[in-house]
Amino acid sequence: MEVAGIYSTSEAKSMKRASGKRKIRTSQSKYNRKEERCAYLCLIPAFLGITFISYLPTIAVFVLSLFSYNGLSTPEFVGLDNYIRIFTKDVYFASAVKATLLYAFLAVIGAVIYSLVIALILNMDIFGRTIFRSIFFIPYLLPAIGVFKGWQWLYEQNYGLFNFIFRMLGIPPQRFLDSPRQVIPALVLIAVWASGNLIVIFLAGLQNVPTVYKEAAQIDGANSWQRFWNITIPCIKPIIFYNVLTALITHLQVVNPALALTNGGPAKKSMFLSYVIYMYGFEKNKLGYAAAFSVIFFVLVGIFTIVLFVTQKDSIFSDEA
Amino acid sequence: MTGKEKRKLANRSVVTLIALFFAFLTLLPIWWIFRSSLMSVAQVNAYPPSFIPTEWLWSNYTKTLQTFEYWTYFKNTFSIIIPAVTFGVITAIFCGYAFARLRFRGKNLIFKICVSTILLPGMVTLIPLYIAWTKFFGLGDTYWPLILPFLTGGGFFNIFLIRQFLMTIPRDLDEAASIDGASRMRILWTILVPAIKPAVVVVGMMLFIQIWNDMLQQIIYINSMSKFTFAIALTNFTGSFGTNWPMAMAATFMTILPGIVIYIFGQKSFVEGIVLTGMKN
Repeated sequence: MEVAGIYSTSEAKSMKRASGKRKIRTSQSKYNRKEERCAYLCLIPAFLGITFISYLPTIAVFVLSLFSYNGLSTPEFVGLDNYIRIFTKDVYFASAVKATLLYAFLAVIGAVIYSLVIALILNMDIFGRTIFRSIFFIPYLLPAIGVFKGWQWLYEQNYGLFNFIFRMLGIPPQRFLDSPRQVIPALVLIAVWASGNLIVIFLAGLQNVPTVYKEAAQIDGANSWQRFWNITIPCIKPIIFYNVLTALITHLQVVNPALALTNGGPAKKSMFLSYVIYMYGFEKNKLGYAAAFSVIFFVLVGIFTIVLFVTQKDSIFSDEA
Repeated sequence: MTGKEKRKLANRSVVTLIALFFAFLTLLPIWWIFRSSLMSVAQVNAYPPSFIPTEWLWSNYTKTLQTFEYWTYFKNTFSIIIPAVTFGVITAIFCGYAFARLRFRGKNLIFKICVSTILLPGMVTLIPLYIAWTKFFGLGDTYWPLILPFLTGGGFFNIFLIRQFLMTIPRDLDEAASIDGASRMRILWTILVPAIKPAVVVVGMMLFIQIWNDMLQQIIYINSMSKFTFAIALTNFTGSFGTNWPMAMAATFMTILPGIVIYIFGQKSFVEGIVLTGMKN
């Protein structure tokens, strides 16, 4: 151990010296060939992944969107016809965009606020903190299909839990998933309930807020509300951004509730874009048309991502970590 | 006790009560599924509802198992999850190691290209991948399209997580071992991986959840009933049972049970892992 200690300090010094001279040195000596070979070997899976699972299919979807293809016959080039149809004649397009944006917007706001509140509570000095921490995480780990089937029962019109509670409180029974007006809020509530992953990430962020700041502010006479707004929130801003971004990308892609519960109904109110892609692609076998929908979806998600990135400069994905 | 201490205790109790209230709301749906699965149809429909079943009808489960082939779905679901999670974790470790520890040309550029894929929605690539797997490779109605993508690390986020975690391990640890003559791969697997165990557990669990929840791809690739997973089977099952909610809930509870069991065992390192990973920047 002692030898190692001496070695590492001396190497650290030589590394410092080396990095000081880096500009003069050629790249040949900066990289060790054996090390480089090892790195490229390690990265083969990632290379295959980004090429064949991410980039090539993304290019392919743009190409495919210009064709009419039912999965069996030879694809027929149709130019921009698919897009023109979507924007002018498609019966689902407008409701799909509306349903997707409304759901994503409400789910992101709901999930981020809920998980921040829970994380703040869990970050305080409460009794049985470890147990609480485990409890709030459970819903996230349950399989989606089980969650939706369970909630379908809670939302049941005659004997479901929610209408039981409403009856006790004297509120008339609601139709929830069968009501065009309530279906989106009802599905959002499920998403908020299952957002345990955001809680854990917020919690991690809160634990990294330096206590010295808070103590200093306390000495200066700041009350807990001021401390929260002026110290905690600015310190966890990157974490909030990260959670909003990942939640947005997740919720814009929403498809499971439509597959498991609503089939896009009632009255097309839960006809999410992803579900429309599924429907055209795999139920109606219009793969080219579905690809055009995918491209529009890609652009839509892209716009939101760019807007978020522009409004937030220091991103969590910076490689200076 | 001084006045200040008393106030502190009171504060602590109030916040604990609030936490208790939220925890109750969180667990209520799960309890409601379980309690309904043990009741008769008449009992679940009774008003006022009972919070605890008056009679525990475990026979609901045996009856459900007659039509809901639980163990077939279990076997099928896990024959996707086990290889996918295993390979996903191993490849994520290799790639994360390269980005965290090794110096090579083009590192920053490659890293940025990889990071950009995190933001790519999976829905966009669904159709081309489906055509590729089923038409070019003839792998329709097999589990391969659901497993093979995980041989690439299962998405760059996992690689990113492993990298972040490896960067918190002091380099002295590697250097000490390399003096003893250990090769890079030996250092990685015998020293670094054990040191980042919580991160490995997190990645494993995230992959697990990802596959668990990927209903869409299971539905589009699997056609034959003997290959059905929980996701496909349960979608069909409750449809065919109409209003027999106790049996539907028995099937639902059996489906969520493996998740709960695995969580109870992996819970500690999981929460620890995410907290330690810290999502620092």
